[in-house]
Amino acid sequence: MTLSKTIYKWLDDRFKLRELLPPIVKHPAPEYAVSNPLYCLGGTAFLCFLILATTGIFLAMYYKPTPAEAYKSVERIMLEVPMGSLIRSVHHWAANTMIAAVMLHMIRVYFMGAYKRPRELNWVVGVFLFLTTTTFGFSGYLLPWDQLAYWATKIGTGIAGSIPVMGQYISLILIGGNDLGAETLTRFYAIHVLILPAAIITLLLLHFLMVRIQGISGRL
Amino acid sequence: MAMTNKELHGTEEHEHEPVRIRGLPFFPHFLLREVVVMCLVAGSLILLASVYPAGLLKPADPFDTPSPIYPEWYFLYVFGFLKFWTYNIGPIEAKIIGVTVPMVLWYGLLILVPFIDRNPSTDIRKRKIAVVLGIIALLGILYFTYYSIVYH
Repeated sequence: MTLSKTIYKWLDDRFKLRELLPPIVKHPAPEYAVSNPLYCLGGTAFLCFLILATTGIFLAMYYKPTPAEAYKSVERIMLEVPMGSLIRSVHHWAANTMIAAVMLHMIRVYFMGAYKRPRELNWVVGVFLFLTTTTFGFSGYLLPWDQLAYWATKIGTGIAGSIPVMGQYISLILIGGNDLGAETLTRFYAIHVLILPAAIITLLLLHFLMVRIQGISGRL
Repeated sequence: MAMTNKELHGTEEHEHEPVRIRGLPFFPHFLLREVVVMCLVAGSLILLASVYPAGLLKPADPFDTPSPIYPEWYFLYVFGFLKFWTYNIGPIEAKIIGVTVPMVLWYGLLILVPFIDRNPSTDIRKRKIAVVLGIIALLGILYFTYYSIVYH
């Protein structure tokens, strides 16, 4: 007790915690948002993101993004690495749950009209978060480099490639050549573990900041 | 239920504080519920992962096309629409429409929702058009998802 008080005082002297903390800690959450489980969906998606980031870091320690090694490294994670199978399976399920939670969160916000003035921009950021989340799923799907991964990505990049005007550029950026191969795998890996995490963290900060400034929208 | 009552007391205690909106303090009331939900979600994920581990098929083989190939479930509706739409509109090919509508137009429409719906009411009874359109969109996505599985 005295130790925690000493630490608190030390920090308080330097950072004025007494003034900083109450607005965060005592910030009121509306009653209807605490009692209605529909308001959990966004938080569930965020929790899934945290779990995905943690399990993803562990997977990245063993995964090797080359056509020759990718499949073997995933197989090794599943069979040899201690708890590897659990970590990868939790990553898999958290990913699917996150997408489901984001979709349900969007449906909730739509039918409650929570996107209306003054929260228009937060809806727009939300749609980009949804896009980022599905792109995460799409890029992660290729990484195990098994038959499903390869052929689903082949079709997926084919479809993205036939979007008018932008298609050929999207396809070139994603595939990095004429056909799926080593270039594609490193690109998808970079997108999955570097570009998208940076994007989603930025978007999440904006999303939460706006909720914090504008408050949670009212009744059904 | 006991938790709710306790939370209601919390409101009364904090009523005299200068707050922007009436509600329960973030800490501990809101956070407590969040932590309970987080434990449930994390527990369910670990349970699911233990019972249904992530799969791994045979290594990728560019010369062996497996059948059927399904994309992730959340992209199925795109494939469904692409299969469903076989009509050329003037000079625009059916395939172009089949790709553009579920990817470009649909997401564009989603982004524009708050700017299209100018009705200020959040009362569901006063938003009949928005609600009907929302239900049509949901049913459409479900239908095309179903279509992509059945007419594979």
